[in-house]
Amino acid sequence: MPNSTANKSASDNNILHAVNGYQDALDHQRELIKTGTDFNEQNGHVANTIASLHPKRLQLVVCEVIEDTASTKTLRFKAEDNYLPPFQAGQYINLFVNIDGTETARPYAISSAPQARGFYDLTIKRVAEGFVSHFLLDDVKVGDHFQSTGPMGTFYHNPLFHGDDLVFLAGGSGIAPARSMIINMIESTLHHRKAEQKLHLIYASSYQADVIYENELKQLEQEHDFLTITWIISRPTDNYSGRTGHVSADLLTELLGDNVEKLQAKMFYICGPTSFHDFCAEQLKQLKVKARRVRIECNGPPKHPETLAGWPKNVIATDKVTVTIHKADGSQGQFEARVDEPLLNSMERNGYSAENACRSGECSLCRVKVLKGSVFNPAEARLRSTDEAYGWCHSCVAFPTSDIELFV
Amino acid sequence: MTDFDAIVIGAGNAGLTAATALQRGGARTLLLERHNIPGGCATSFIRGEFEFEVALHQLSGMGTEKNPFIMRKIFTDLGIMDQLNIVEERELYRVVMPSKVNKEHEIDIVLPASIKALKKTLSAHYPEESENIEAYLTLCEKLSLECFMMLPRAQKMADQTVLESSCPNYIKYGLTSSKDVLNEFFSNPDLKAVIAAYWCYIGLPPKDIPFCDLAVMVYAYAAFKPCHVQGGSQAISSALLESFLNAGGKVLFNTGAAKILTDNEQVKAVQTEHGDIFTCEHIISNTSPQHTFNELLDIPTPKQVTADMKSRRLGTSAFVLYLGLDCTPKELGVTAASNFIIDDRDEEVAFETMQGINDPTHTMLTCYNHDDPSFAPEGKTSLSLLCLQYSQAWQDLPVEDYAQAKYDFAEKLIDHAERVFPNIRKNIEDVEVATPLTMMRYLNTPGGAIYGFQQNTQDAVMFRERINAISGLHMAGSWNGMGGFQPTYMIGESTARAVLKKIKKTKQAKTQQQELTHA
Repeated sequence: MPNSTANKSASDNNILHAVNGYQDALDHQRELIKTGTDFNEQNGHVANTIASLHPKRLQLVVCEVIEDTASTKTLRFKAEDNYLPPFQAGQYINLFVNIDGTETARPYAISSAPQARGFYDLTIKRVAEGFVSHFLLDDVKVGDHFQSTGPMGTFYHNPLFHGDDLVFLAGGSGIAPARSMIINMIESTLHHRKAEQKLHLIYASSYQADVIYENELKQLEQEHDFLTITWIISRPTDNYSGRTGHVSADLLTELLGDNVEKLQAKMFYICGPTSFHDFCAEQLKQLKVKARRVRIECNGPPKHPETLAGWPKNVIATDKVTVTIHKADGSQGQFEARVDEPLLNSMERNGYSAENACRSGECSLCRVKVLKGSVFNPAEARLRSTDEAYGWCHSCVAFPTSDIELFV
Repeated sequence: MTDFDAIVIGAGNAGLTAATALQRGGARTLLLERHNIPGGCATSFIRGEFEFEVALHQLSGMGTEKNPFIMRKIFTDLGIMDQLNIVEERELYRVVMPSKVNKEHEIDIVLPASIKALKKTLSAHYPEESENIEAYLTLCEKLSLECFMMLPRAQKMADQTVLESSCPNYIKYGLTSSKDVLNEFFSNPDLKAVIAAYWCYIGLPPKDIPFCDLAVMVYAYAAFKPCHVQGGSQAISSALLESFLNAGGKVLFNTGAAKILTDNEQVKAVQTEHGDIFTCEHIISNTSPQHTFNELLDIPTPKQVTADMKSRRLGTSAFVLYLGLDCTPKELGVTAASNFIIDDRDEEVAFETMQGINDPTHTMLTCYNHDDPSFAPEGKTSLSLLCLQYSQAWQDLPVEDYAQAKYDFAEKLIDHAERVFPNIRKNIEDVEVATPLTMMRYLNTPGGAIYGFQQNTQDAVMFRERINAISGLHMAGSWNGMGGFQPTYMIGESTARAVLKKIKKTKQAKTQQQELTHA
């Protein structure tokens, strides 16, 4: 008997032989053993399957740097091992960087289409007061190596309920996921969907010189009936003859009509700077578009947390507090931080880290536990309902409002 | 001295429970978790305004405050009972079999969560079988009591006469195929399908489930009420972690185990995915035996384990839609939290369907805010809509086709449920789709299995020798017993108890030796 060990206790002198069906089950077990396996042939299979769709890390190398505008470049990445997982148009990767010794990361929407399987494009616009964008625009060259997360995020067309009548409100570099979605629609092989789909892109830029993908998008609009593009410049030069201003409710009414029912049947995607989101969302609310017909891509922590509801009255933005870090290995550390700086950023600047991806409060990878003291969690922090009771916060959007001790 | 007395690999239900019980029992414990959050299956995630429960459908074993059952005691001993807000469910479930020709359902029945009311409801629907219903539910009750009380005693005494005198129903029916027992008691095929609906919680058709498993489930849910916990199963996981930390336990998130290091077939240490090595006396593995012995262990799979695994077969995974709807449960037509929507009275048809990406024939819809409004934003509905499904077909898809296949199947699932709840699709505010590969990603289980191995009769512990080939390595989880919440919490607790005993013994032996040396 091949399973003499496994069955010894079960078969010998066991009182359970008195139970109907016991012997049948033992016989069944013997049958199964004959054709069964110890599963060793599947070693590595789970890990490989997960890695093919949702790798924790990608090893990337810059294979091309494309100059889009004076303030924007597209970095084209390929994988060191030549395998990139598929993604849904609109998703992002979180790109890890080391800038003068500070390990940090920023999420960027993939601007290339999912059908381009050999590379991911990240389109990066200079943020005047930024930290990472200067590095990526000024210091990165072909051949440089990076790590990133796999593709993530929920900002994409979900055919289960988004419908085919789509409006994309893009501000500045918020055009990146829109480009991916547009090319995806063109390349899609789903004929029934292609027959129905419509996309109206309303693309707002500050200056004419800032407009990214202008020529490409204009050409695509000419070639494809499903695509309509409205260009808006908020700070035009005197001789600019196109539309100017903001993505206001009036403008949306003019472009999309004022039929509430028709408006509500559309799906709105908003991507751009935080102020752009807030403004657009407010306009859509005025037009009585239901929240469930609006998808907003998160875009970093709030710039001025002290202006948000719930911020403690006695704390001013320039206040400094002491952050004490307790690591699981028992080691400790301390640093000073401003109350208006997200914890994750000050931790990284001081040599600490937490896993992270969206850096906007959504993905929850960067959760840390507040052991003592208080933090401010803005609405962006999508905490689970039991988190606050036990002190867990999302460090990417949590602001220390007193001296605090953290478990990281 | 080792870095820890015990290292627990995986913060799933069994791992969290074991770690908490160990640390509270005085063992210096390290808990390793590859994700960023405790719970494994017992977690939640946020989409928009919704916090979705990942896996808990009906918590069993709690009982009521007046009539408490074993899980209340276990949660009290773990120091978390006072942290949990328990919501009792009023119904066991609703079973609907939509008609293929018109809008009249062929079967539509809501079973209440009380033995007495259950008998009454079933008898009212199937009056010609009312005596059989009475006899069947009485058998379920007697069999359950024998399983809980007398059987363990008889086994401990290893006395066949005790077994025969105290467990007559177990002897006759305990290991009999559930289908045979249903056929013996009932003739109406509708009634048989209705009463066997909980087979989904085991993942095998009644033909392959020992009757004791089905009987205990029906009896325990009806007598002790199915429950939810406010905040979802994540609330239990978060409370357990807090209790573990408060007792002085150490936890590392985003840190999977990469190797179990041994010395002469005795565990020595765990190496993490980041390369750190922690020494210990005991390891409790909450991950599958395949991963533990075939991938983590630094020596070839022990023969004892090989022999054990050869008689196992991979259990099912599931395809789940997490749906946040912009309408109330009432507007949707929800009359019970748990709903089984079936196309066929024969569960074997469903089991056949589960083998690939086929049109679903059995789906399960759980409405979380039916019994307690706190489970969804005001005026909205939080649902999970699922069907059991094996993962192979998903693994065989080219990666480029995965997303579209996922949406195509989700549409079919919604179509299936909309025959009973017609307005799901038009009210979707948020939705997340989880395939068997999603289960694999988050649970790290072969085939994305959600209940471990197939729970056929011979899979049970009584047919198994305790795996002890590697001294100090203990298995705790759905792979070594039943799947589901109550069983995994209980396995974690009992494993910790056994390990604590061993630690105590070792310490005593050491002290004695020291005393001898000093003397």
